[in-house]
Amino acid sequence: MAGNFWHSSHYQQWILEKQDLIHQRQADLEILTEDEYPKLMIFFSNLIQQLGETLKLRQQVIATATVFMKRFYARNSLKCIDPLLLAPTSVFLASKVEEFGVISNSRLISTCQTVIKNKFGYAYSQEFPFRMNHVLECEFYLLESMDCCLIVYQPYRPLVQYMQDLGAESEVLQLGWKIVNDSLRTDACLLFAPYEIALACMHMACVVYQKDCKQWFAELNCDLDRIMEITKYILNLYELWKSYDERKEIASILQKIPKPSTQPPQPGSR
Amino acid sequence: MGGREKLYEDLHFPYCDDVVKYEKLDKIGQGTFGEVFRARNRKTRKIVALKKVLMENEKEGFPITALREIKILQQLKHDNIVKLNEICRTKPSACNKFRSTFYLVFDFCEHDLAGLLSNYNVKFSLGEIKKVMQQLLEGLYYIHSSKILHRDMKAANVLITKSGVLKLADFGLARAFSHRNGQPNRYTNRVVTLWYRPPELLLGERNYGPAIDVWGAGCIMAEMWTRTPIMQDKFIQPSKSKEVMNLIFQGSTEQHQLNLISQLCGSITPDVWPGVENLPFFSSMELARNHKRKVKERLKTYVRDPYACDLIDKMLALDPSKRIDSDTALNHDFFWSDPLPCDLGKMLSHHQHSMFEFLAPPRRGRQQQQQQVQQGSNVTTASGSAAATSALQQQQQSSRRGAQQRSSASASVASMSSCPERIF
Repeated sequence: MAGNFWHSSHYQQWILEKQDLIHQRQADLEILTEDEYPKLMIFFSNLIQQLGETLKLRQQVIATATVFMKRFYARNSLKCIDPLLLAPTSVFLASKVEEFGVISNSRLISTCQTVIKNKFGYAYSQEFPFRMNHVLECEFYLLESMDCCLIVYQPYRPLVQYMQDLGAESEVLQLGWKIVNDSLRTDACLLFAPYEIALACMHMACVVYQKDCKQWFAELNCDLDRIMEITKYILNLYELWKSYDERKEIASILQKIPKPSTQPPQPGSR
Repeated sequence: MGGREKLYEDLHFPYCDDVVKYEKLDKIGQGTFGEVFRARNRKTRKIVALKKVLMENEKEGFPITALREIKILQQLKHDNIVKLNEICRTKPSACNKFRSTFYLVFDFCEHDLAGLLSNYNVKFSLGEIKKVMQQLLEGLYYIHSSKILHRDMKAANVLITKSGVLKLADFGLARAFSHRNGQPNRYTNRVVTLWYRPPELLLGERNYGPAIDVWGAGCIMAEMWTRTPIMQDKFIQPSKSKEVMNLIFQGSTEQHQLNLISQLCGSITPDVWPGVENLPFFSSMELARNHKRKVKERLKTYVRDPYACDLIDKMLALDPSKRIDSDTALNHDFFWSDPLPCDLGKMLSHHQHSMFEFLAPPRRGRQQQQQQVQQGSNVTTASGSAAATSALQQQQQSSRRGAQQRSSASASVASMSSCPERIF
């Protein structure tokens, strides 16, 4: 997307403070533990990734959808809108915003149904309960909660540029790219600028491949402490992944999500 | 439906304000995706323009054109680009199926260029025309360097405040463009109101760029003198009657438009435009041969200033790669010779009431181009139908404008000499 990051709503309104996030999540964290909340976010980011891949969307669209969902819950409790509805809604909106076109209604819903059934059967025993009218309605709440800030800058482009500048081999770039994907499962995209995330991921990829980048980083004019902080977020994510079996645990965590007083409509009730 | 509203509990709306903070005054226009109202902030008394986001295609959800306009205007900040102040909404309730109506809130501009040009009491001096064009090109230069294409250049989308500041508006068809490592882009060519549509789009080009907007700006510039869109029958083929026209150009409007362009700008051939033979519709369209380019010759009765003629000629180059860009155009002698561009505020201060194309009073007029327009609206893509719709409105309204110029209803196609160059 064109334009200047420093003048964008992404930079001006959507680089949040950690304190804000903690404050906003307080209500949810009375019900969920400090560990469970990120596990849920990881789960729904994975759901978006799966939906996106099944719909053959570009990674940029998937990343934007993930950020949309995270922005929503940075301002709202999980109880406001079931993330199972917000995830496909974010995908639907992101596809339009990123000029990937309108996903047809039936295709979106049927993809939700098959993905939930085939890939996330361990988490949901029931069918995907929502219909397109719910998605369309939810889209409005999502837009409103984001104050219609639609432009999301992603770390992918700066990552490619920096890697080229460093003269990194393609496998280093590939690993960096994957780490960027993983970073979407942390709070980093709400707290740091995309170029910072790109730098952190690039650094991690270089360390793995023992590619010397000391000189390159030494010449950078940026706050390396922030880069290290991002690295910590991502390492924590990997740590969490190691110690946790989503297939076993997620169903019980999903049960704990605070819900509106009335349950979503049962499939086929309409 | 039971329990539907309970899907969302504890939702608050602290982010977009409720539109009730504005008091609607009157309707002033019809944009690509919705109506436009003049409104007043109840608290500050400030006048604004409210653009309602029409939910035409229910299945599409929030319209993609509105999403584009929001996202593009949020990043464009320039004196010659309309300013998006905020986005408001109505309260979701059972009456609107829990989907709010969204409104884009803009700074209010008193006039649009089509409205001003349709009013013969509004007279632009050469210096004032220069000021209009300079601001228009500066706006274009800014959006093009921000990698945005406007894609709906026309006089009605050029707003002018009462103090004479020009604002480019209606980004409902705009989009970002890029040069992807040598790979051609595939944008829809169903954009731009027909009369302002450049030849490359009419020939099916999908890998286009900023030059498409410059063509439109060239048409608008000529219109500053002719007071009517130039790429239409009554300007280009004043001598042929409607019946003959229909016989000749039965078929697509695009075909017809290309013929009009050829008659003014010369035949479209690989000689003047290398590579044109590779455009998708080059072989399927019948392109008139042996027309000489007569842009300058044709315009000189209206446009006495030779620099102006030269600049219009360069903006209406058939080959988009040879068309002047906005930056070069701004350096053209036209803007740097006497009389220099001069402020519009003084001239506009004589006109107290707003002039919008939409509000130009309907006169008894001939539906000269209706048939072709109806054929033209038979398009498939979403933005295409929007363009066609706006083309339809444009033509309906312009036929009013045309009617206004010529009181004689019997002259179904005005001859050139009856056009009112007397005002200059």
